Amino acid sequence: MSGFRVWGLVPAWVLMLATLMVPLLIVAAVSVAERGAYGGFAWDFNPLSYREILFSEDWDGNLAFDAKYLAIIGRTLLLAGATTLICMALSLPVAYVIATRPPKTKALLIYLVTLPFWVSMIVRVYAWLIILGNEGFVGRFWQWIGGEGTLLFTPGAMLVGMVYSYIPLMVLPVFAAIEKLDPALLEAGADLYASRWTTARRVILPLTWPGLAAGAVLVFVPALGTVLEPMLLGGGKQMTMGTLIQTQFGGARNWPFGAAVALVLMAMVVLVLMVNARRAMRREART
Amino acid sequence: MKPKTLLGAATAVALALPAYADGTLNLYTWSDSISPELIEKFEAQTGITVNTDGFNSNEDALTKLQAGSSGYDIVTPSQHFVKIMIDEGLLEDIGAKDLAAYAQVDDKWKGQWWDPENAYSIPLAYGTAGFAVNRDVYEGPVDSWAVYFTPPADLKGKVASLSYPDEVVGAAQLFLGVPFCSEDKAEMKKVYDLLMAQKPDVAAYSSDNIENRLGTAEVGAHFWWDGNVLKTRNDGANIVYAEPKEGLVGWLDSFVVPKGAANVEGAKQFIDFMSEEENATIQYNYYAHSSPVKLDLTKAKYTPENAPELFPTVPVEFSKACSPAAQDLVTKVWTDLLK
Repeated sequence: MSGFRVWGLVPAWVLMLATLMVPLLIVAAVSVAERGAYGGFAWDFNPLSYREILFSEDWDGNLAFDAKYLAIIGRTLLLAGATTLICMALSLPVAYVIATRPPKTKALLIYLVTLPFWVSMIVRVYAWLIILGNEGFVGRFWQWIGGEGTLLFTPGAMLVGMVYSYIPLMVLPVFAAIEKLDPALLEAGADLYASRWTTARRVILPLTWPGLAAGAVLVFVPALGTVLEPMLLGGGKQMTMGTLIQTQFGGARNWPFGAAVALVLMAMVVLVLMVNARRAMRREART
Repeated sequence: MKPKTLLGAATAVALALPAYADGTLNLYTWSDSISPELIEKFEAQTGITVNTDGFNSNEDALTKLQAGSSGYDIVTPSQHFVKIMIDEGLLEDIGAKDLAAYAQVDDKWKGQWWDPENAYSIPLAYGTAGFAVNRDVYEGPVDSWAVYFTPPADLKGKVASLSYPDEVVGAAQLFLGVPFCSEDKAEMKKVYDLLMAQKPDVAAYSSDNIENRLGTAEVGAHFWWDGNVLKTRNDGANIVYAEPKEGLVGWLDSFVVPKGAANVEGAKQFIDFMSEEENATIQYNYYAHSSPVKLDLTKAKYTPENAPELFPTVPVEFSKACSPAAQDLVTKVWTDLLK
């Protein structure tokens, strides 16, 4: 290996160590530290935080298996999974339409997809608060068609907000994959009497799969840690891992437990990334 | 002659450096709590540039100070958090008793349990936490926490709470006759049962955007603070602050200086400035919460007649600094509620 190939990577390694590895190790250390009486922590080894995820004291003072944190983890996975699937389903046609426009329109449409990122996330989520509220146009339409109750502060509102927040991260890689499609393959499909549906299923989908997989990771990972949408649009009625971690560092003043939950979240993210990397490697090996 | 000049120049540089550090003052206060008019006035008077950051809960402020090197010169936590911050060694002893501001403080707020020696804090504002109802939604009496915790038909599904347990659990304790900071599991189970029974009628647990939610009748009842209700009512919302016979949860926010603050002198100057009669009156009129320092009553906007929110006739009980065991029970109530 040439010197540059080793030393050229030093800045990247330094950055990784300083901004990822070291903070992660600190979080890991805090998760097994002794909690402070009023928040904070002391450097005494105490791994009880991890036990607390599965076992906690009930109202009678007995230590018992308690599924409440597992339920929160499960809900977070479900929500992030649903967000990812909906984003996939919506972004395929959107990306296809964009990819088949003339270059000028294409550039404009891509610009429009990324436009929301120019505005702070909190402002965008607040906008949904207004749109879905009783006085907002969607809320009013809902009442006009005779809908029951309000749209805000429901799991549905939360999901709408999450899909809205993360869908650009899905559209862009899917668009890139569709754009690389060779039109000759589609024509070949047509020549072989494939219906539009068959072409979509057997030609377009497999060829855009890398884009979808990349988009899925980009959406799923941040969706796991989401805080704003459950708090504002979901009305904070049910905790997710993000809000649970926030509560532990805030009101509960239990930093080690917050750090332990954060590490569980981190482990889930790493797992997703590893599965994805393995699949990518296998794909590469095949081609 | 020359060495002297050099010394003079060196002194000038040495003096100029701290002067530069003294040129800014970083405030970390409850969101929108300090009158912008006063900040401008203070900047014009002293030449100090004031930066403000806002927090929405005492927990946020505490967490930030515990994380270290917050960069703030003044924070304004409530009484029980002042106590915790003092005990945790997070505050600078500013000798509050010797400040000009101290002479302005009403005697009843001196030597309180959270700062018995008056070494760390000067009070800024006080008030109560309770609940308000929108009269377009609910017309019945609002003289008990029962309206909030066991909502009548008009309020079913239209109650909103806060996103933190601090005051909400306190209110439930007042309603049930459970003492604040109880370490008794059986008693706290009652609090949990009450909140759990209320949950189906709660539209949201959220401390943001309350004004809008309650003012537009998106919800009919909301946990809230006295002065915010007053301001929103003055803006034309058809709302009223309840006076539950079981009592209201009291709070008092104080100016404190975090340990290691860069501009302690500027902070003291600001605290003195805010406590001057004229300025305290401007602050009172802006913030719409009761003032613990002397006011110019000819200019004070709120009276018992036009602002009953600020002059409750029911008992007021101040939040305490709970032991970790008691705090864990509060957290358990809240986590089990939202699991």
